[in-house]
Amino acid sequence: MNYPAWDVAHIGSGWVIGIIAIFHVLISHFAVGGGLYLPIAERKALKEGRREWLNLLRKHSRFFLILTGVFGAVSGVGIWFAIGLANPEATSALIHNFVFAWAAEWVFFLVELSCAAVYYYTWDRVSPRFHLAVGWLYAAASLATLIIINGILTFMLTPGEAWLSAAGTGREASQFWPAFFNPVYWPSLFLRILVCLNLAGVWALASYSKIAKASDGLRAETLRWSARWIAPGFLLLPVFLAWFLWSLPEPRRALLELGVHTIGPGAFTQATRAALVVLVASAGVAGLVYLFAWKSPRDFGFSHAAAVLALAAAATGAGEYTRELLRKPYVVVRYMYSNGVRVQDAARFNREGFLTRSLWAAGAASLEKRGEAMFRGQCMACHTRKGYRSMRRLLAGRNEESIGNLLRTLHERKEDSPYRAFMPPLVGTEEEIAALKTYLAKLAAPSGGEEKPAVVKQIASQ
Amino acid sequence: MKQARHSLYKWLDERLDLTEILAFARKKTVPVHRRSFWYYWGGLSLFFFLVQALTGTLLLIYYRPGPEAYESVRQITYEIDFGWLIRSIHSWAANLMIFAVMTHMFSVFFMKAYRKPRELGWWSGLGLLGLALFFGFSGYLLPMDELSYFATKVGLEIPALIPWVGPKAAALLRGGVDVSAVTTQRFFALHAAVLPALFVPLLAFHLWLVQKHGNAVPPSEELKPPEQRRSIPFFPDFALKDLAMWLIALNLLVLLAAMFPQGLGQPADPLAPAPQGIHPEWYFMSSFQTLKMFGKWFPGTAGEALGLIVFNLGLAIWALIPLYDNKRAWGLRARIASYIGLAALALLVLTTVWGYLALD
Repeated sequence: MNYPAWDVAHIGSGWVIGIIAIFHVLISHFAVGGGLYLPIAERKALKEGRREWLNLLRKHSRFFLILTGVFGAVSGVGIWFAIGLANPEATSALIHNFVFAWAAEWVFFLVELSCAAVYYYTWDRVSPRFHLAVGWLYAAASLATLIIINGILTFMLTPGEAWLSAAGTGREASQFWPAFFNPVYWPSLFLRILVCLNLAGVWALASYSKIAKASDGLRAETLRWSARWIAPGFLLLPVFLAWFLWSLPEPRRALLELGVHTIGPGAFTQATRAALVVLVASAGVAGLVYLFAWKSPRDFGFSHAAAVLALAAAATGAGEYTRELLRKPYVVVRYMYSNGVRVQDAARFNREGFLTRSLWAAGAASLEKRGEAMFRGQCMACHTRKGYRSMRRLLAGRNEESIGNLLRTLHERKEDSPYRAFMPPLVGTEEEIAALKTYLAKLAAPSGGEEKPAVVKQIASQ
Repeated sequence: MKQARHSLYKWLDERLDLTEILAFARKKTVPVHRRSFWYYWGGLSLFFFLVQALTGTLLLIYYRPGPEAYESVRQITYEIDFGWLIRSIHSWAANLMIFAVMTHMFSVFFMKAYRKPRELGWWSGLGLLGLALFFGFSGYLLPMDELSYFATKVGLEIPALIPWVGPKAAALLRGGVDVSAVTTQRFFALHAAVLPALFVPLLAFHLWLVQKHGNAVPPSEELKPPEQRRSIPFFPDFALKDLAMWLIALNLLVLLAAMFPQGLGQPADPLAPAPQGIHPEWYFMSSFQTLKMFGKWFPGTAGEALGLIVFNLGLAIWALIPLYDNKRAWGLRARIASYIGLAALALLVLTTVWGYLALD
């Protein structure tokens, strides 16, 4: 077990990743969709001899370069920092299983970033044919980054039987391709490509609302042309979404259906509710683009574009959130639980102890400190003490005995346990679970709950 | 397809005179200026009301007032497919509707859209706001959980302060000396039958006035020569924009309902002590805090009664403003009216915030 020392109060480490990731996805998918938009628009403008449109595209490519090359790249690195701190075990597993894919991904990133810069800085400096070729090269490289990352992201949701049979044997690399082209790879790829096209249109609307002159007839024409980029997504998203859901294994689909009839088990019905937001907000984007940009392009301003962008952010954010929730209780389905404990290690941790295998907790001598170490190691990936998925709130009203019973349920993880579908098993020896019980009981007590980062201090002092 | 559409239109046109309606809608214009954004709030209020009517009707199917009130809401929230969604949308739309109506009211006030010939629009609008608040108050009790029970109990103590009529009215609403299952039946009858029967005709009257007099322009726009003023046809230009605003509102509503669904507390227990921090909904917080402070400053029933008098006096001034600020020019009365509006807005916000900060 790696060092779970990143203690983010109130929102938890998961939301730090989430916030950066939603921002990143909005831009990175634009980087792919916009990569297609630019050469297609440039080709059309060249073919029709539209000098004024080319000038507008030049300004748009500047916006594109800054947004994707600066904010997209920085937030991408931010995700690496965040996931490395929040779930080092899972990050390590992904790196080790997909060494070749990551290497290829970064090569394409380099090509992508270089092409974006060359594309912008060579407007009117090289022949139109060469400039267009750079645009197409950018489009191909950015599409390649999506093709690769999609394989790794979908692997986490459906690693596939072939890879799972090799997991933990040291022969995982032999199942690279089945893991990469896993059961939801294709529907997910097409879904993402549609999102990319949508975002190319949405961001173009935002860009043109600022860079094109309000009185210009070209502005209205290009706004309407950009609005068309929403159409494929509006028409085909339901089809690919249905394919995606159909490709999911039954337990994953069951998580999505849990919230249809209830809001009872709190956070676990959020997958259904987030999926609902995806559907409504996606339709909302299409509707707003139609009403604002297609029907009234002359009145289209930045405030309209901001409303469309906000809905696109809601749809994208809810989509990524749903995808994350569908993996529960795993971070890599059937291989690693969301707290970084490998499925195959659970029995050993129960036998030999969880903390004995966690070097960072070696100095935790007292019962409470050992309990806190258990909390950090097994609960903190998803829960905070008093903020998001607050332990104090969830355990409110329970005494130590009742908390002990709950921990017992989580530890035994029987077939009929209501928590089985979305929570990892609690692993460790009897003594370790008792320590966690003591710690949580103190945390849940009305007067308790003061954060005591004893383990962090200890790590720092070592 | 085109032929069929044309035939259908012709059939309907012969019976409903659609061409004339469309011609009227095209002829009607909406002014375009810096403050046009505020024109959408009336439409947004209407949208949230329509959502309320639709979701309220769906809730009627499963809700059972009386002794089973709590159990029926529990089933809606935790057992029936998408029951939680309908209930959450109903609850959020109620809040958003009151917010939209209040925003609409203040925008009308500051644009001086209450001046002749729109006084009746102002008064009917105030009537609609009053009914909307009553909708909120009566609907809040219906789940009959501990929070709604105690909040209603406290809420009904306010009208009881009015001499003679107050206690009788409160007892009539309660259906006894205390809030009980009988109260949910009475509140339900009010919420689902009496209030809609009052609201819908008043709303129709209000909308008819809007159609008749059109959108008012703010004084700054009135000063401009006619050739400098811009406007767009109501149909299709403004109607499409209005529709887009409704779409944004729908998305906001679903987002709120999905991410923050309306839960249900413990069943109401009249013998249990009131839970900590009992307070009314945000739209009653201002009046709640005002009465509380008057009660503190002037101990005894007299203090709260004085608070009630001051509060109602303020409401009366607010309602009668069209009779005071009745000149078209931007004169002294117009300025004073604007200051009154600013003071009312500041007072509303400050006492609301104060109310929340002063909670136990």
